[in-house]
Amino acid sequence: MPELNPKLRAYLVRLGVLALGLLGMIGAAVLHKFAHLGLAPTLLLEYFAVICVVWGLNPFLFRRLPLGGASLLLFSAAVFGVLFFIAYFLLSVAGPFLLDSAGRFVGLVHLGDLVFYVIALVAIAGAAGTAFSRNIIYSAWSLLFAFLGVAGIYVLLGADFPAMAQVLIYVGGVLVLILFAIMLTKQIGEDPKLTNAHLGLPVGAGLALVTIGTLTYMAVMAPWDVTPTQSYQPVSASLGIAFLTDYLLPFEVASVVLLAALVGAVIIARKEIKETSDTVLQ
Amino acid sequence: MTSIGLPHFLIVGAALFALGMVTVVTRRNAVGILMGVELILNAANVNFIAFNHYVAAPGSFTGQVFSIFVIVLAAAEAAIGLAIVLAIYQTFHTIDVEETDLLRE
Repeated sequence: MPELNPKLRAYLVRLGVLALGLLGMIGAAVLHKFAHLGLAPTLLLEYFAVICVVWGLNPFLFRRLPLGGASLLLFSAAVFGVLFFIAYFLLSVAGPFLLDSAGRFVGLVHLGDLVFYVIALVAIAGAAGTAFSRNIIYSAWSLLFAFLGVAGIYVLLGADFPAMAQVLIYVGGVLVLILFAIMLTKQIGEDPKLTNAHLGLPVGAGLALVTIGTLTYMAVMAPWDVTPTQSYQPVSASLGIAFLTDYLLPFEVASVVLLAALVGAVIIARKEIKETSDTVLQ
Repeated sequence: MTSIGLPHFLIVGAALFALGMVTVVTRRNAVGILMGVELILNAANVNFIAFNHYVAAPGSFTGQVFSIFVIVLAAAEAAIGLAIVLAIYQTFHTIDVEETDLLRE
């Protein structure tokens, strides 16, 4: 057997004793639970296991206190007392209370409500990240979560086709376009404060609070004429029929607008090739 | 019976709109401003679809049709806006909107 470094050997011994102590703690609890070991022997076993754990942990935690002999036993007793109190508190007092209140809370919350709150949180957190992030790349990634959250809200509102269009066009198109623009206009690794600086952030936050307050007050207090029954049917076919009958002219105009945007974007963004009259003449 | 109603969705739309407006007002990066515009358009879409679901007569899809048009125009706006940003970058070598003040006297 090769000679081990004595320091390493000491560490290994400590680790072994630590594992033994942890096993002893769990084993004593299992014996008490399933083999009907008495309370006093169980506590004694746990105390020895805690001594093993404290001794094993000594070089790693506790800043290498000179624990040995009586001080080790006393310190272990203190740790044991604290652990016993925590376990007693969790098992007898806090645990049942928490379980009981959690059961009541789950009874109050509907799954649909929970889904709405999660999706709304994703959307609003993404928007807040877009508004307040220091780095433009992080803003773009937050915008991804805002778009996905809005798509989830569309699904909750029974609008399957707009949700699909949202994912395909915004996440798949607009966001990629924005990331390309960031990549083409900024050296990655610049100071993010320079790339995404704010201007009058307190004023902006105040503006946001006033806007949210006003719009929320209006949304809650206005007497909306809500229809009693809302339908959740697939809408793609009805949307297609609406586009080709009632909204035919806007539909065609939209296609022309898209074509014009395509051509215009190419013309604006391309590098201008300057040709002087001489080169043209030649 | 679920307790989620029309005001919940309107409040989400209001929050998205306000945060988008803050982005537009406070950002100095032109790409960041475009992100804010996208957020505002999304907020409008949430309101369109929420009203279509809760207020419109069953079988009416006007709100969803308008949301599709808004998505189309947002895509066109993003393409043109980012092309303008690239052109500004080629001219000024920065996209800080505070420094691109050629027309300001």
